[in-house]
Amino acid sequence: MEDILTVESLSKRFGGLYAVHDLHFSVQAGQIVGIIGPNGAGKTTLFNLLTGFLRPDSGTMLFNGEEIVGKKPHEIVTKGVARSFQVVRPFHQMSVLQNVLVPSLSKKLLKKSLSRASHEANARELLESVGLGEKTGFLAADLSHGDLKRLDLARALATEPDLLLLDEPFSGLAKAEIDVLLPFIEALNNKGLTIIIIEHKLRELMKLVKRVIAFDFGVKIGDGTPEEIANNEAVIKAYLGGGARGFAAI
Amino acid sequence: MKMRSKESWRSRCLSILGRMVPYLIVIGALSIVPVFVKSYYIIDLLILCNIYAVFLASWDLLTGYTGQISFGHSLFIGGGAYTAGLLNFYLHLSPLITIPIAGLVAAGFGLGLGIPALRLRGPYLALATFAASGILSVLTSVFWKYTGGEDGLYGISSLTDNIVAKYYLSLALLVICCGALLLIVKSRYGIGLLSIREDEIASMASGINTSKYKIVIFTVSGLFAGVAGAFYCHNQLHVGTEELSLSLSILVVLMSVAGGIGTIIGPIFGGYLLIFLNEWLRFVEDFRMLIYTGAVVMILLFLPRGILPTFILMVRYLIGTRISRSGD
Amino acid sequence: MKLLAEILVYGAVQSAVYALLALGFCLIFGAAGVVNLAHTAFYMVGAYLIYTFMDLLGLGLYLSLLISVIGVGVIGMIVQQFFIRPLMKSEMSVMMITLAIAYFVQELILSFYGPVDRNVRRFVEAKLTIFGMVDIDSQRMLTLAVAVVLIVLLWLFLNKTKAGKAILAVAQDREGAIFIGINPDRVFLQVIFISALLASIAGAFISPTLGARPHMWEHPLIRCFAVVILGGLGSLEGAILAAIIIGYSEVVVSFAVSSYLGELLAFIIILGVLIKMPSGLMGSKTGT
Repeated sequence: MEDILTVESLSKRFGGLYAVHDLHFSVQAGQIVGIIGPNGAGKTTLFNLLTGFLRPDSGTMLFNGEEIVGKKPHEIVTKGVARSFQVVRPFHQMSVLQNVLVPSLSKKLLKKSLSRASHEANARELLESVGLGEKTGFLAADLSHGDLKRLDLARALATEPDLLLLDEPFSGLAKAEIDVLLPFIEALNNKGLTIIIIEHKLRELMKLVKRVIAFDFGVKIGDGTPEEIANNEAVIKAYLGGGARGFAAI
Repeated sequence: MKMRSKESWRSRCLSILGRMVPYLIVIGALSIVPVFVKSYYIIDLLILCNIYAVFLASWDLLTGYTGQISFGHSLFIGGGAYTAGLLNFYLHLSPLITIPIAGLVAAGFGLGLGIPALRLRGPYLALATFAASGILSVLTSVFWKYTGGEDGLYGISSLTDNIVAKYYLSLALLVICCGALLLIVKSRYGIGLLSIREDEIASMASGINTSKYKIVIFTVSGLFAGVAGAFYCHNQLHVGTEELSLSLSILVVLMSVAGGIGTIIGPIFGGYLLIFLNEWLRFVEDFRMLIYTGAVVMILLFLPRGILPTFILMVRYLIGTRISRSGD
Repeated sequence: MKLLAEILVYGAVQSAVYALLALGFCLIFGAAGVVNLAHTAFYMVGAYLIYTFMDLLGLGLYLSLLISVIGVGVIGMIVQQFFIRPLMKSEMSVMMITLAIAYFVQELILSFYGPVDRNVRRFVEAKLTIFGMVDIDSQRMLTLAVAVVLIVLLWLFLNKTKAGKAILAVAQDREGAIFIGINPDRVFLQVIFISALLASIAGAFISPTLGARPHMWEHPLIRCFAVVILGGLGSLEGAILAAIIIGYSEVVVSFAVSSYLGELLAFIIILGVLIKMPSGLMGSKTGT
């Protein structure tokens, strides 16, 4: 199994502080990895670096062996990396269907030379699979938070990625909604999609992933199975209080 | 297999034709106007409406559809008008040549503005467009010896002497330019443009090269506005500082927004409506502009979507209730 | 040497007027997120009102001034409450409607006062000679003095009074301010009152020098907009600094070459800064 993503010596500063400091890790194709850490630990910054929205101060990022530092976001999407956003970013005044059709304009999908009707059919199928099949005509501005999260996910999937970066996919969702979303993500991974998930809802995350990377102050403080991370001294210290204790009990 | 594809091809053609029907009706109606209307005054007004329609629609593509706020559209309009005017005045080139060249020059302005403007958004972009058109305006004053300064250039050749012919030419301008603009937004790339307006970051994350789209749209918007500006110059037989003025830029903004921003057709409709309103109000000449601008403020306040979309919504609502009542 | 001194003094007057206008504009943007393109229309109304009360109706200077500036402040509040507030969700809508209102005000003035420039009587009749070299009329110096005083008063108000600090709080973090019991709508009204007040004072004091003209709002709008953006939207210190830069560069070029080139220079500076530093000289970083 080769590495689909390799990050080496990655650093990014804002003013005097390191958001990400000398980071090294790799992800193999087909893995499903969780990223945890307290707020401000640099997790979303890492995603922004990986997707080209921020330029690192130093280090390399290799996707499928290719250097992606300095590449623009749309280029990285075309290479096969997609992301969802921590705070949803729908196209408000466009319909659900239109939202998911936008990725069909990416270079990768345009190369397939499909008709608009085909793209539309694919989009509908995708929306059906995330549970928005009935709402394709709805304006994104009229959707509930849970539906917006699904839309965000569907739009990311519409880019046909090889690597999916999910930024807090469970935030703001009710238990019932999470119970539907979790197996869906699992199924995606079973079909071969490599997934990296940032999450605060540790209990749910541990059910999903087999490997967890822990962050604090931009530095990797742990990398292992959920059990290993739960018993990692540094990790427990980073998460002071009840969260850590409940965490260790997993 | 062959039968099925023939059928789907036919049904697709029919559906395209079906969607074109409203446009065909309007174009048809506009085409036969000179048969019924003999007043040159009204024909002249309609010519103006057709020209303004292109100003407004090209602005809407840039601002309404792609979200690039432009308060300096007179840069393109005036740029096109002055190019045509200067070429015609000094080199005696015919409108057939000056108009396309003017379009290209204005497209060049669009390109020239679009590239540095890539990083700008909202009020910053608005200010940049103000400043850009301001620069051109001042340059024409500085080189007053060639541009005629405040008065501008008179004696520009006419397109044709027959006013009815001029009307049909302006209609052709409308159909060609606005038709092209509509084709752009209704193409598969239309939602790409909208996505840039809605959320540029999410658009980039969906694989859209937003910089390329923005540059192209600036250029295209400039092209059509410049062509219409040149046409206007040959229609008025004069080019002057009004074509580069802040007032014109702002008028374009207000008319488009009143008509219905982001729809291409809304601004065209708004243009027609407001130009005729302006003329009708001449009976209260002293307060005409006051009522006019007051009406625009009211429209912006109460019909934020613009006149046309609100009108369509009302019609849909009325038809909808009637259907549901009879359907049950 | 004399030229230098002239530039120094006239530049100061120009900068002062721009600063006065820019501060109000900046304040509204900072506190309410509103780009009020009708701001210089308030400036114009200030000029016309002082003309009306002082020259047409013959009321004394102080009374006219009082009625004029308070009047414009109230008009500002009306505009905010009924025209801006309903559209505050969308930045574009606010820009559009305030622009339309500016046009409406222009037409209102044209309808009632006609297109001819109106001469406003000077507040003080005296010719001064600054530094023994520069001849300048006292009206201009008065304008400069008043502007400086107002800027200081504004600083004191914002930093030392409860209401002022509330405004600063809302400007920094609207939600946080609501959290601690500040009513943002009331703050918006206060801010626009102050902003319109400052604009109308600028208009009233400069009107004897420039005259009251129906298009006098156009030219300062771009300058004022530019000053605020150059200084960094939301930064008051930046606005003052930028006002000084733009004011002086205009005066320098006008004196040295021609007023047309002064205009050109201003536009070029604006475009230059926008392209290089979209966050202005001192404003907060506008991240991706």
